[in-house]
Amino acid sequence: MRLYAVGLSHRTAPVELRECVDFARGGVAQALVALAARAVGREVVVLSTCNRAEIYAVGENDATADRVSRFFSEYHNIPHERMADHLYIRSGADAARHLFRVAAGLDSLVVGEPQILGQVKSAYAAAHEGRFTAALMNRLFHSAFTAGKRVRSETGLGEGAVSVSYAAIALAKKIFGDLKGRSVLILGAGEMAKLTGVYLQAQQVRQIAIASRTLVTAENLAGHLGGTAVAWDALDSALHAADIVVTATGASEPVLTRARLEDAMRPRRGRALFIIDIAVPRDVEASAGDLDQVFLYNIDDLQAIVQENLARRTAELSHAEAIVEEEVARFVAWMQSREIVPTVVALRQRFEAIRQAELARLEPKLSGLPPEARSRVEEITRLIVEKLLLTPTEQLKAVSDEAMIVAYADALNRLFSLPTEKNASEPDTESEVAS
Amino acid sequence: MHLLPLVLYALAAAAYTAHFARRDERVGRFATAALAAGVLAHTYLIGMQTVEAGHAPLVGTTAAISAFVWLLGLSYLYVELTASERSMGAFVAVLLTGLAVIPAVDTTVSPRPPVLQSPLFTVHVMSLLFAYASFALACVLGVTYVLLFKEIKAKHLGFFYTRLPSLQTLDVMNSRAITVGWIFLTVGCVVGGIWAAQVQNSTDPRVQAMSLADPKILVAVLSWVIYSFAVFARKAIGWSGRRAAYLSGVAFAVVLLNFVLVGYFLTKSHNF
Repeated sequence: MRLYAVGLSHRTAPVELRECVDFARGGVAQALVALAARAVGREVVVLSTCNRAEIYAVGENDATADRVSRFFSEYHNIPHERMADHLYIRSGADAARHLFRVAAGLDSLVVGEPQILGQVKSAYAAAHEGRFTAALMNRLFHSAFTAGKRVRSETGLGEGAVSVSYAAIALAKKIFGDLKGRSVLILGAGEMAKLTGVYLQAQQVRQIAIASRTLVTAENLAGHLGGTAVAWDALDSALHAADIVVTATGASEPVLTRARLEDAMRPRRGRALFIIDIAVPRDVEASAGDLDQVFLYNIDDLQAIVQENLARRTAELSHAEAIVEEEVARFVAWMQSREIVPTVVALRQRFEAIRQAELARLEPKLSGLPPEARSRVEEITRLIVEKLLLTPTEQLKAVSDEAMIVAYADALNRLFSLPTEKNASEPDTESEVAS
Repeated sequence: MHLLPLVLYALAAAAYTAHFARRDERVGRFATAALAAGVLAHTYLIGMQTVEAGHAPLVGTTAAISAFVWLLGLSYLYVELTASERSMGAFVAVLLTGLAVIPAVDTTVSPRPPVLQSPLFTVHVMSLLFAYASFALACVLGVTYVLLFKEIKAKHLGFFYTRLPSLQTLDVMNSRAITVGWIFLTVGCVVGGIWAAQVQNSTDPRVQAMSLADPKILVAVLSWVIYSFAVFARKAIGWSGRRAAYLSGVAFAVVLLNFVLVGYFLTKSHNF
């Protein structure tokens, strides 16, 4: 049994191609059914997001990978030649490493973004529900979740906003907690004002007021954002009501001077005011930031935060990669120790067969014994076999080196002339021994 | 046995600090478990002392500190579990460990003089200890508020920014802690006054010293004035946020001063 990962992502394929191989469009369940119908692999999971389309499969040999890669073009009716260059194929430990890195956000467009772990989880859930997974996939994906969670909680990889708007919203949340129930005042009605308004609206703020020198443009934006327009000369009372102020006017002189904000702060009784000045030139006098309970951030401050966060994420990369490697090593050790299982099963069956044969041979001599003595003989022979096999079984299961496993299996097969591979890997006995 | 709570508190303090610095969830859970174990061991110890002495071990400053540590540990655990916020633990557990040294070193349980054999005494001590525990939490919340406030103001978002809850959360929790503490402080002081009036005729020199001129009582009244101001200032003149945070720090320093220094060295009325 071997593990394969076949797919394409933002790293290997242009967006036009990624759009064409979106499994989510027709439903992942449907793709899983199609995979099963073509007997592409024993176990399959389909992961499809806007930045990647990947199929994880368990199969006998490299033909499985080939079938999966053909499936990509057949299922989407795309000539295979157009697709082949963009597909990557990983197997064994590399396939596991790839999935773990994906789940940890290390392979994402924005490194460390948190959504991908949820997407991996739902991809697995869909396959698990449809019974397209078994022992290997179950273990693989649960290890991937562990890797993803560990990277998230033990490193700062996903931390800190990496865009100016998110940095501003994260700051607002750090000041006010929840933004629901907060009031926003936007000065200016241009593109930047509109964009920020949309972001803030998505945070479900209580109300958005827009003030512009010309009331009509303010009204237009207010209509667009579901807010209210405020006349320019009513600015001071609007300031009083606001918790967050976004300034994005085209004015060449500061609109909010320190003196004006000082007056505005007095009746607020210590209620915090967060001012985001995204205008260039600036709309707010810099010294206003010294006022108590006024938090003033301009576009440069926010950009500096974004740069800092990006740098911090990069610094966390090696830590995250190390965690992924740890989890890969753990998973691979488990996966390889599984390969010895058929040999262990065959060995046990062999011993049991010998015991049964000997008991049968001695049957004439034993038939004279009373029933208790007979069952005692049965028990003793069973215990001897158990005892003989206990240490070898434990030792074999502890082997995690691939070459050693092959060597051991080969030696045992020869020494005890075990039946090779044919009947040894019944899934039921396998899982029994593996547990 | 007397050392066990201290050891567990110290372990919790180390784990909370490590959790705060490295943010390893498992270390955090371990810290909570260590603190809970410490409080449990402490409960057992106080229980045994109660059985041994035949009364709650609340007589004398050492016993009061021990009970205070126990109450603060318990209150903090309650706050941590209800607010699912572990970052205060580093500060609280360090304070706990520092104070737990005193009862761990001095393990004698003072006998209860006849004058203290009144249910009012227990109410008096327990209310005040509970008030102090609330004020300790308020102080920690205030300190963290200021740390976070300074980071955001300085536009250098770093260590505390990623570890602490929002300013708003810290401020609201601070306000609650101060209010709860103030209520218990008021009850404790009033009950103390009533009880002192009841035993006026006792010949015990300590009862004779019960007056506003005694440093312990004077500073207690002073801290009541400060906390009353804090409650009033927040409601009436908008002293929330940074000012409230500073105030809760200063006020708790006064409380701690009264509790430990005045309690051991200066008072003539409360040296049981």
